[in-house]
Amino acid sequence: MKDEIVTQLNQYITTQILKRTDKTLNPNEPLISGGLIDSFSLVDLALFAEQTWGARIDDTELNAQTFDSLNQLAELIEVRKAN
Amino acid sequence: MSLTQIFIFAALGLLAGRFYKVFSRNWLLFVASALAVFWLQPASPVRNLFFILPAVSLGLAAVVWALTVPADYALNKQDASAAGSLAGLVLLLSASRYFDPVCCLTASRPPQMEITLLVVAVLAVFGFLVYRLGRGRAAFLNFGILLIIAILIVLKSPSLAEWAGRGIRGLSGQDASLASSIDIGWLGFSYIAFRLIHVLRDRLAGRLPQVSLRDFVTYIVFFPALTAGPIERIERFAPQLQSEFHLDGNRLLGAGRRLVVGLFMKFVLADGLAFFALNPTNAQQVDSTGWMWVLLVAYAFRIFFDFAGYTHIAIGLGLLFGILLPENFDRPYTKPNITAFWNSWHITLAQWFRSYYFNPLTRGLRTGNMPPWLIVMLAQLSTMALIGLWHGITWNFLVWGLWHGVGLFVHNQWLQLTKSRSAFAAVPSQVSTLLTFGYVSLGWVWFALPEPDNAMRVLRTLFGVGA
Repeated sequence: MKDEIVTQLNQYITTQILKRTDKTLNPNEPLISGGLIDSFSLVDLALFAEQTWGARIDDTELNAQTFDSLNQLAELIEVRKAN
Repeated sequence: MSLTQIFIFAALGLLAGRFYKVFSRNWLLFVASALAVFWLQPASPVRNLFFILPAVSLGLAAVVWALTVPADYALNKQDASAAGSLAGLVLLLSASRYFDPVCCLTASRPPQMEITLLVVAVLAVFGFLVYRLGRGRAAFLNFGILLIIAILIVLKSPSLAEWAGRGIRGLSGQDASLASSIDIGWLGFSYIAFRLIHVLRDRLAGRLPQVSLRDFVTYIVFFPALTAGPIERIERFAPQLQSEFHLDGNRLLGAGRRLVVGLFMKFVLADGLAFFALNPTNAQQVDSTGWMWVLLVAYAFRIFFDFAGYTHIAIGLGLLFGILLPENFDRPYTKPNITAFWNSWHITLAQWFRSYYFNPLTRGLRTGNMPPWLIVMLAQLSTMALIGLWHGITWNFLVWGLWHGVGLFVHNQWLQLTKSRSAFAAVPSQVSTLLTFGYVSLGWVWFALPEPDNAMRVLRTLFGVGA
């Protein structure tokens, strides 16, 4: 399940946020602290997770301390989805 | 904090580190933080205000705790001891006015006991009523947030602060015509207020961890972070109080390193640069473009070393007591763009604004039909305007905030443009770092100079226009 979430997130980020269809992200690559995703895209990412999996990520959680990589975000989504 | 105060706090950490088997670290931090609120508060021209403001800081922390506990919360012995200790400490400090050898921890001689008793009684009754009638209720929590914002606005706005100063002078029987905007110098309130809003807002969202009164008050007024932050989050702070702590060699070394770096940055580099950093006086004396840039660059480094040095000191002191405070700076002047700059300058303030203003606003606007560029512009400009106004509700801080808002918006649009068009070659990083530093430095002109005419004159001189 987690791998599926990572794949979908990867596709969303590369096509919608980075606009680079040729790029694939490493699941452990730092997205926020590495400067790949800015604050606007983070909100978009939270909305995408909410619409796709019904996993609510609070406004106070959109930072590198809560999640910084695809793997960490997928884990958070899995937990929230289960709840 | 003065050098002496920093050394006394460090000495306390070193000494206490040997005795945590004998007494509790959490009670020590609670008592030390409560006393430090009084000790660090400077004198005020308004009678007794230097004593009443710290008492209200503690009272406000206790009231907000009472407001945020769960509806079915039952007060326990430790909470009662903490509440009693707070009242006892305030009364004891007030009583010190009668004992010259131990007087005074405060800036002046504390007020007479009956005044202190009245202040403590009012705060206690207020806290009790809030606990009985309002705890956990959304209307009360929202009202609390609005009240704190209203106090911040009054304190930060010169005309309102002067008006409030007149009122308080009237109450204390002093000449109201002598009131000024700096009468109410409430130490650390900007930071206390943002911590309180954070817990109230997280309580509303159902995300606030349950914390005892003792640890809550320590979090709000933790002495290393009282005067200049950083703005820690309670869910990161409180668990650190629960874990066991021994001040071993490695920890001591880590804390010592941060303190030495911080003291050097603040008291050597920043204070040294202050001699020729841009200020309202030298701005009017310098006519050459080159020298004006020297003043401006000196100011840019002075403000960085001052604030970053202070953060090192706060983190170093925190480490001596087993508390790791968050970083506030990450080499901001080496960043290649303004977005990266704002991810590394006053990090905890920027993060606070993202959590409680920028993200909710963007989320709300994103779900409508507004074009993305307009959302970016509205969110960036308004967030940065508010960050500017947090420093003071005056035109120069507003312009400083908007200057950065425009920079962030332009950078965002540039990224959108270059992202889909690979023909745009990336600007070499040294050039972009220099450009970013230049942009940030020009922003400091507004920050350093409250008078518009003076700021415009400096900008013209910097560019050799009509100097």
